[in-house]
Amino acid sequence: MSNRPASQKYDVIVIGGGHNGLVNAAYLGRAGKRTIVLERRHVLGGAAVTEEIFPGFKFSVCSYVVSLLRPEIIRDLDLPRHGLEILPLDGTFTPMPNGDYLWRVNDHAKTRQEIARHSRVDAEAYEEFGKAMLQMCKFVKPILAMTPPDPTTLNPRDLIKLLFLGRRFQGLSSDDKYNQVQLMTMSAVDYLDQWFETDVLKATMSASGIIGTFLGIRSPGTAYVLLHHYMGEIDGAFRAWGFARGGTGAISNAIADAAREAGVEIRTRAGIARILVNKGTAVGVVLENGDEIYGNVVSSSVDPHLTFLKMLEPDQLPDEFLSGVKRYKFRGSSAKVNFALDALPNFSCLPGPGAHLRGAISISPSVDYMERAYDDAKYGEYSKRPYIDMVIPSLTDPSVAPPGKHVMSCFVQYAPYHLSSSNWDEKKEAFGDMVVQTLSEYAPNFTNLVIGRQVVTPLDLEREWGLTEGNIFQGELSLEQLFFLRPVPGWANYRTPIKNLYMCGSATHPGGGIMGAPGRLAATEILKDWKA
Amino acid sequence: MSADRDVVVIGGGHNGLITAFYLARAGLKPVVLEARSIVGGMAVTEELCPGFRCPTLAHAGGPIRAEIVRDMALEQHGLRMTQPSVRMTAISPGGEAIAIYDDPARTAQQLAARSQRDANSFTHFQVVLGRLGNVFRHLAASTPPEIDSPSKDDLLRGIATGRMVRRLGRQDMHRLLRWAPMPIADLMDEWFENPLLKATIAARAIFGCSAGPRSPSTANLLLLRCADDPNVVGPSAFAVGGAGALTQAMAKAVVAAGCTIRTNAEVAGIDVEDGRVKGVHLTNGEEIAARTVVSNADPVRTLLSLLDPVNLSPSFLQRVQQYRSKGVVAKLNLALDGLPTFGALEQSKVDGDAYSGRIHIGPSMNYIERAFDASKYGDFSPEPYLEVMLPTVTDPSLAPAGKHILSIYAQFAPYKLRTGTWDTRAAELAECIVSTLAKYAPDLPNHIIHQQVITPADIETTYGATGGHIFHGELTIDQSFTMRPLLGWARYRTPIPGLYMCGSGTHPGSGLTGASGANAAREILKDLR
Repeated sequence: MSNRPASQKYDVIVIGGGHNGLVNAAYLGRAGKRTIVLERRHVLGGAAVTEEIFPGFKFSVCSYVVSLLRPEIIRDLDLPRHGLEILPLDGTFTPMPNGDYLWRVNDHAKTRQEIARHSRVDAEAYEEFGKAMLQMCKFVKPILAMTPPDPTTLNPRDLIKLLFLGRRFQGLSSDDKYNQVQLMTMSAVDYLDQWFETDVLKATMSASGIIGTFLGIRSPGTAYVLLHHYMGEIDGAFRAWGFARGGTGAISNAIADAAREAGVEIRTRAGIARILVNKGTAVGVVLENGDEIYGNVVSSSVDPHLTFLKMLEPDQLPDEFLSGVKRYKFRGSSAKVNFALDALPNFSCLPGPGAHLRGAISISPSVDYMERAYDDAKYGEYSKRPYIDMVIPSLTDPSVAPPGKHVMSCFVQYAPYHLSSSNWDEKKEAFGDMVVQTLSEYAPNFTNLVIGRQVVTPLDLEREWGLTEGNIFQGELSLEQLFFLRPVPGWANYRTPIKNLYMCGSATHPGGGIMGAPGRLAATEILKDWKA
Repeated sequence: MSADRDVVVIGGGHNGLITAFYLARAGLKPVVLEARSIVGGMAVTEELCPGFRCPTLAHAGGPIRAEIVRDMALEQHGLRMTQPSVRMTAISPGGEAIAIYDDPARTAQQLAARSQRDANSFTHFQVVLGRLGNVFRHLAASTPPEIDSPSKDDLLRGIATGRMVRRLGRQDMHRLLRWAPMPIADLMDEWFENPLLKATIAARAIFGCSAGPRSPSTANLLLLRCADDPNVVGPSAFAVGGAGALTQAMAKAVVAAGCTIRTNAEVAGIDVEDGRVKGVHLTNGEEIAARTVVSNADPVRTLLSLLDPVNLSPSFLQRVQQYRSKGVVAKLNLALDGLPTFGALEQSKVDGDAYSGRIHIGPSMNYIERAFDASKYGDFSPEPYLEVMLPTVTDPSLAPAGKHILSIYAQFAPYKLRTGTWDTRAAELAECIVSTLAKYAPDLPNHIIHQQVITPADIETTYGATGGHIFHGELTIDQSFTMRPLLGWARYRTPIPGLYMCGSGTHPGSGLTGASGANAAREILKDLR
C-alpha cells in the first residue's frame, strides 16, 4: 500500500476521456455509480477534439465530421441541451484532373441529374442503390447496438443472440440476402461494379470503404465498410453527415457536460501508469505521478495495446489472450493535415466560391488512382498521390476562423505508420508539402492561401493521442477484427480475463468513428455484472 | 437425329466424367459430349512437339478424392500415381532453397537449421491445418444448404457440421472464424519468420486467383485447399503419363460403367421447352434429346451462352453476368534438349531429388504482391510468380531420352490486357517468363527446342472457360460454398428444371479433386428418384 494520502475510492474508474470513455462514464453516472474519468491530456475528447493551433483558427484536429453518433445516446444524454448542435454537411464534390467533376448532394433530383451527366444508366442505378443500402442499414443497425455473442460457446445468452441474427437474416427477402452477403464479403469496387459504370462515381463512393483500414478499394471486405459509413444517421435520417458547431471537440464537451451533470468526476492531465490488480481482480489505477486511485471497476477506453501490454504485466494475463492482443492489428494508414487559409480555394473545374465547397471535397478521381495510392502503402511508402477527404467547416460555422478566413481539414490516406525507408519525424513536412501539391493540381491558387499548416502523422496520433500505430479506430476495421472477433476472439463482450476490468473504447464492437456505441454497450455490461 | 438419351453431360472434363460415371453406376445411360478431340478438359496430356508429350495445363494437382479413385477403380483402368518425396522446393535468386517434403517432420528438421522457431511453428501449423482441413473436407463433400427454406436434410447436415466444428475446441473454432477473412500474408506473419517460407505457403492461397497475398480472405482459400491435402504446399501427386493419364483412366471407367463418350461433339446450345430442359444441339446441327442435361462448362457459359437468355429471369441473368471469372494464369510449356541447372538446387544440397517436385518462384511476399499489382492495371507481371515442374524427371517416357519438358504456370496474366491483345503479346509474355526463370536457371534459354504459350484467351477458346479462369470463376468468399456460383443456386441445380451444373464453378470448385462432379451426381440422382 502506498503511504500517499491521496487514496480515493470510486465505483468505476474510466481510463481515457475520449468520446467513448465519456459516454461510458455518463451512463454509469446516470445509473448512480460514483465514477471518475482520467484523461492524460490537458483537454478532453481524445481524437474528438477542437484545438486552437493558430490564433483564431480552431481545428478539429483529428476527427472532423460526425454521422455515426448513435441517436439513442444523443437522446439518453440529452446532448443538445448540453450544447451539441450538428450542422449539415451537404454533398461530396469530386474534382477530376480532366477538368470535369462529380458533385453529389443530398437533394436526390439534383444528384440524379449530375450523375446522368456522366451516365444515364448510373443515374437510374443510383436510386436503386440508395434503396438497397437503406435495407441493409436497417438489417445491420441492431447489430451495432448489440453486445456480440460468442458463437463458440453454448451459453444460452449467446445462443439466443445468434438465433436472433439467424432469424433476422432468414427474414430478409431473397434480393436483400444476396446484397447482404455480398456486402459482407466483397471489395467495394467489385460491389460497385455491379451497380455503376462511371469510374469517378465508383472511386469516390468506394473511398468510404477504406477509411482507417490498411486495405485498398479492391480488397475483399471493404464493401462492408461502405455500409458502415452509409449508416450515419442524424435525427433518424440515414446517410446524413454533419459538423458539430465549434468543431468536433464540442461533441466531447457536450458528453462531458452530461456526465458531470450525472455526478461524474473528470480529471485531465491524469495519465495512467498501471492498472492495479489484486488476485486477478482490478482494484484501481496508479497515475503517472504516482497517485493511486481505487475503484470496484476499471473501464478502459484506451486501446488493447496500452491497456494490456503497457498498463498490466504480461504474467497477469493468460497466454492465449496475450497472444491475441499482440496479434491485434493496428497499422494506422491515415494522417490529417489541417490548414489555416487566407481565402477559399478555387477549383479549376468549378471556379469560384459556391455550395460545392460547403460539403466534403474528395480527391478520389478514379479507381486506379485510389488503388495506386494503396499500392504505395503496401510497400511502406506514403501515397505519392493520396486519397484526400477535405472539409471547410468555417463556411458553415464561422466561429472556427477569424472573419473572412477559413480552416480546412484534410484527411489523407495512405500514410502507413511503418515507413520502409524513413520515419515520420523526417517525412512529416515533406508529406505536408505533397498534400499541398496534390491539392494545387485541382485548385492552383491553393499554395498561396496557406497561412498555417498542421500535419498530424500516424506517429503523432500515437504519441499525442495514445492511438497505437496511429490507427484512428483503435485497430483495423477488417473482417477478422469485427463483431465477435473484436478485439480478441472470445473477449468481444467488453470483459477481460481480469475480473472487474472492462474495455469500452473503439477497439471493441462496433468499432471506431464518433459513434459512442462501445462506451454505451460496455456500460450496459458493467451494470449487468454489478447486479449479478 | 440421334436416339433419345436420358442424360447428356456437356463437357468431358474430369468433373463431367465423374458425374457421368456415378449416373451410369446408378443405371442411367449418359452420353458425354466433348468439343475437343480428347476428353480431360484441363487435365490432358498432349504432344508438345514430335517426341515430347506434355501435361498441357494441370501438371500436378488434386488429389482426386480417394473415394472417387476407389469407386471408379482408376488403378484398374491404368492410373499410376507417384508422389515425389519433395513436394515443392522454393528457391531464391540468391541461392536459398527450402524444400517442403511429403513428410512434415522432415520439412521441420530442415527448417530448424535456419530457425528453430519456424521449425516448431511449422509442425504446429501443419497439425492445425490438418484439423481445420478436416472440417473443410466435410464441407467440400456436402451439398451447400438451401438458404431460403432449409430442408430437414440441410438441418441434419448443419448439425453434423456444427458437432464437427465443436469437437475442434474453442481455440480452433476461433481460428476458423478469424482466419477465413484474413489475408494470407498476415496469417503467415503470425506464424513464420523466413520470407521464402512465408511466400511459398502464401502462393497456394492465391494460385489461380485474382488476388495477392495481402488480399483479405485468401487464408480461406488455403483452408479450402487443405480439405483435400493439408500439406502446406498441396500435392505433387503426379500421374505417370501426365495429368491426361488420370482423365484417360476416368474415361475408361466411364465407358466401362455404360456411358458413351463422343469427342468432337461441341454443344452449341441447350434446348428448353415449356420451361423444362429438352436436350442439346451440336454445332453441326445435330439435336440430342434428353430429360436431364448436366453441364461441366462454367456457369457463365452454361447459363448465358448455351442457354437462351429468355429462359431466365432478368434478376438471375444479371447475377450471372456479375459472376467474376477473369483468369490471371498463363501456362508456358517448353521442350528442352537437356536438364536446366537451377543454381539454388545445386548449391543447397536439398535432401531428396528436388527436381522431381514442383519448384516455386516467388521469393517474397512483396514479390508476389507486386506481380499481382500489375494485373490490377491490365498488364502482366514484369516478374511473375511461377510454379514450375519437370514431369520428365518422374516420367522420362514423356520425352526422348535425355530430353525434358518444363511445365510452367505463370501468374499474373490478366484476361483483359489494357494495351494490345493476347494475340499480339503472347510471345512477349513467354519471353518474360523465360527471362524470369533464367535468373534461377541461367542455362535454361539455351536448352529450349520448342515452346507453347497458353494465355487466358487460349484457355477460353480452347477449353471453353469463360474469362480463361482455370477454376471456372474466382474463389473468393462471395463465390464460395452456398454462394458458388450464386447464392441460392449452390446445389448443382439451375432455374431450368432438368438442367444441372457439375463443373468447377460449383461448390467446392477448387482444382482437380472431383468433389463438384461427385456432389452434382448425388443431387441429380436424388431428383431422378
